[in-house]
Amino acid sequence: MKKGMFALLIFLPALFQFARAAGGDQCFTCHEGLGDKESAGYKHDIHFAKGITCAGCHGGNAKSEDMEKAMDKDAGYIGVPKGDDISRACAKCHSDSLKMSSYGATIPTNQWELLRTSVHARLATNGQEQIVQCITCHGVHGIVQVKSPASPVYPLNVVKTCSKCHADAAFMRSYNPSLPVDQEEKYRTSVHGQLNGKGDPRPAVCSSCHGSHNILAASDVKSRVYPVNIPHTCAECHSNPDYMKSYNIRTDQFAQFSRSVHGVELMEKHDVSAPACNSCHGNHGAAPPGVSSVSKVCGTCHALNADLFSASPHKKAFDEKHLPECETCHGNHEILAATDTLLGTSSGAVCSRCHTQTVSPKGFAVAGMMRALTDSLALDEHTAIALLSEAEQKGMEVSEAKFKLRDVHQARLQSRTVVHSASESQFRSTVDKGIAVAVGVIGEGRQAIDEYYFRRWGLGIATIIITIVALSLYLTIRRIERRQRTSTGTNFPMK
Amino acid sequence: MKKFTRKLYAWINDRVQLDNLVEFMGKKYVPLHRHSVWYYFGGVSLFLFIIQVVTGILLLLYYKSGESLAFESIQFIMSKVQFGWLIRSIHSWTANLFILAAMIHMFSVYFEKAYRKPREITWLTGMLMFFLALAFGFSGYLLPWNELAFFATKVGTDIAGIVPVVGKPLMQFLRSGDEVTGATLSRFFGFHVAVFPGIFTVLLGIHLILVQRQGMSEPLGMEDEAIAERKKMPFFPNFMLRDLLLWLIVLNLLAILAVFFPWELGRKADPFAPAPAGIRPEWYFLFMFQTLKYIPGKLWFLDGEIFGIMLFGFAGFLWLLIPFWDRKSSRGEQNRFVNYIGLFVIMYIMILTIIGWLA
Repeated sequence: MKKGMFALLIFLPALFQFARAAGGDQCFTCHEGLGDKESAGYKHDIHFAKGITCAGCHGGNAKSEDMEKAMDKDAGYIGVPKGDDISRACAKCHSDSLKMSSYGATIPTNQWELLRTSVHARLATNGQEQIVQCITCHGVHGIVQVKSPASPVYPLNVVKTCSKCHADAAFMRSYNPSLPVDQEEKYRTSVHGQLNGKGDPRPAVCSSCHGSHNILAASDVKSRVYPVNIPHTCAECHSNPDYMKSYNIRTDQFAQFSRSVHGVELMEKHDVSAPACNSCHGNHGAAPPGVSSVSKVCGTCHALNADLFSASPHKKAFDEKHLPECETCHGNHEILAATDTLLGTSSGAVCSRCHTQTVSPKGFAVAGMMRALTDSLALDEHTAIALLSEAEQKGMEVSEAKFKLRDVHQARLQSRTVVHSASESQFRSTVDKGIAVAVGVIGEGRQAIDEYYFRRWGLGIATIIITIVALSLYLTIRRIERRQRTSTGTNFPMK
Repeated sequence: MKKFTRKLYAWINDRVQLDNLVEFMGKKYVPLHRHSVWYYFGGVSLFLFIIQVVTGILLLLYYKSGESLAFESIQFIMSKVQFGWLIRSIHSWTANLFILAAMIHMFSVYFEKAYRKPREITWLTGMLMFFLALAFGFSGYLLPWNELAFFATKVGTDIAGIVPVVGKPLMQFLRSGDEVTGATLSRFFGFHVAVFPGIFTVLLGIHLILVQRQGMSEPLGMEDEAIAERKKMPFFPNFMLRDLLLWLIVLNLLAILAVFFPWELGRKADPFAPAPAGIRPEWYFLFMFQTLKYIPGKLWFLDGEIFGIMLFGFAGFLWLLIPFWDRKSSRGEQNRFVNYIGLFVIMYIMILTIIGWLA
């Protein structure tokens, strides 16, 4: 029995070849005989295994032993397809679900359709064809299944495959000179790339984020890597507990980010200037920012805050305690809008986490003072807004005061920046400027309301005066007419 | 006091013969009948016009024409100038009340057939003044250079541009170019404070001289009564003092409106901003604006809007020339047809204005 099995294994390829020739792939038989590399490669091709003859792509009559007849154009022979005809040849079957199911394939049949809408379907520099054909990524005459480690689009190979073009500066310059060509280099430094390099096919590769056939420019709102879509793209893996289980990574980042001030701005208000995952972690070189670099990352947008913090006494203290700078007070993924409650010594304030009355009385006092100042400014701003609103409702013209009110709000925002300096005098100076403007605006608001009541009183007095004059006039008319009636001896009106 | 007044009168009389004027006024009488109350609206219109002139001159002391100055100068008048808010509010309210009073005056003259011979010229000057009042309103509306005014002017001049043949040049003349810009504002300002007041003053002078010369019109049928039977009231002092009394009441009403409903300034015009929702003209243009909305895009071979504008133009022209085609009234006969037209016009204006206002 064992001997029989062994013999079958040895003769199986030969039997298969015989069966193919008998079935009609004369092209392959001859070309193999010629020993060309195409037929050598095709022997390992998935299409070969499925019994698809050379004529499947090249046309002609694969059953004919006569070369003239086999390669007769009238029999549909097209030779080596060129340009978009290559992809059309693939799409002939790969866009036909019935044909695909007849080969037992369950893969999608919309690849050609997707490819044609992708950035790769733009016209190539020769003006004849689209930039990328199916064979550009999948290879030719040796195409294997995507899940096969030998496939150029297998996760462990796909980065190299993409880099064939994307790392070629001369080639990329022809299409998008501003696009970097160091993505693979960066990728290899990322956590994804390092795991991939170690032979783990599961971490993200190019196609995980950019898609495969339907790759769009990152600036395209439909792209998977358009800023608004990035959190969702990352979350496909990072919010999947089963997928992330073996890496021991939390999966609540997306949920936290969605609630954060950044997430709301980006995903709800579609403000693309708000940060997405890659803004802090990097994209091709994605990795969590370390304790030492987190302030630099936040500082790329919050530059002034970062500068003030770096010059503040907090910098040294944080470094000594190995505390991440921004994250310690603001958190990471779930960063909420900074309100005045963060400041001070009350229960919700972050200052009191370190500056307790016993351990750090000076810091405790400064934090309390800062909070008192900022509360005072906020109160003045609210008072000013309420007064101007009341004056406006009463129909008073207060647009100039309202314009000044913007300076008060600006001072509040500025004070929230200056607080990173941890300097009492700097903070006080900023808040005092705001309070001075607010006091002026409050004065103008009160003046407008007083003016409103003055107008009412003025109107009342004017109305009384006019009414008295009108009444006197009425009495005068009556007196005159009474006199007229007496003098003329007739009833008024006169006849 | 009386002695001083007498002395002053004598002093003036020596120089300008006031006695003649007093004698002339003493002979003037106002007919008394059940419609006499309408006579007062001419006086009220005159009073409101005088207020417009006075408040307009006061506003001129601070108003600055120009795209970058107009809005700010009104803002300054409203918030910094002592009683500037009152002057501006009164000017804006009076503008509207003036048109309302002039409209009532016009319709009362129409229904009384007071336009009939020999008062055709009085009617013509009155109607021309009414059209000028509308032009005053249209040009003055833009002067604060706020959002509503800007877009209303754009729509208004667009409509003028639809008029066949002369429309396009007329629109360019009004706008001082193809678009509503600072140049339009300067042009409207010029019209509002110089051109229109000049013409209006001449027309008003003729109108008042004619009223004094011809006296007040008596309703049809009254002429049949014997002169001795006709009721009348001396113009001076009886009618004049009553006029004055009404003017005081109107002044009081104006003060209340200006204080309780100050005229808002809105937002500064931004030619690049999209037109805000609910753009509509002042109430006195609303019935025409609303009508244009209802007319279909195409009527026979004519564009709907062109048809509407031509229709209003023709109707206005007929209305202006009524003394010349209503021959029956001139002969002293009742003309019910004219009454029905007048009633239809009033109903039409009121209904369309209300619909436009609520839309």
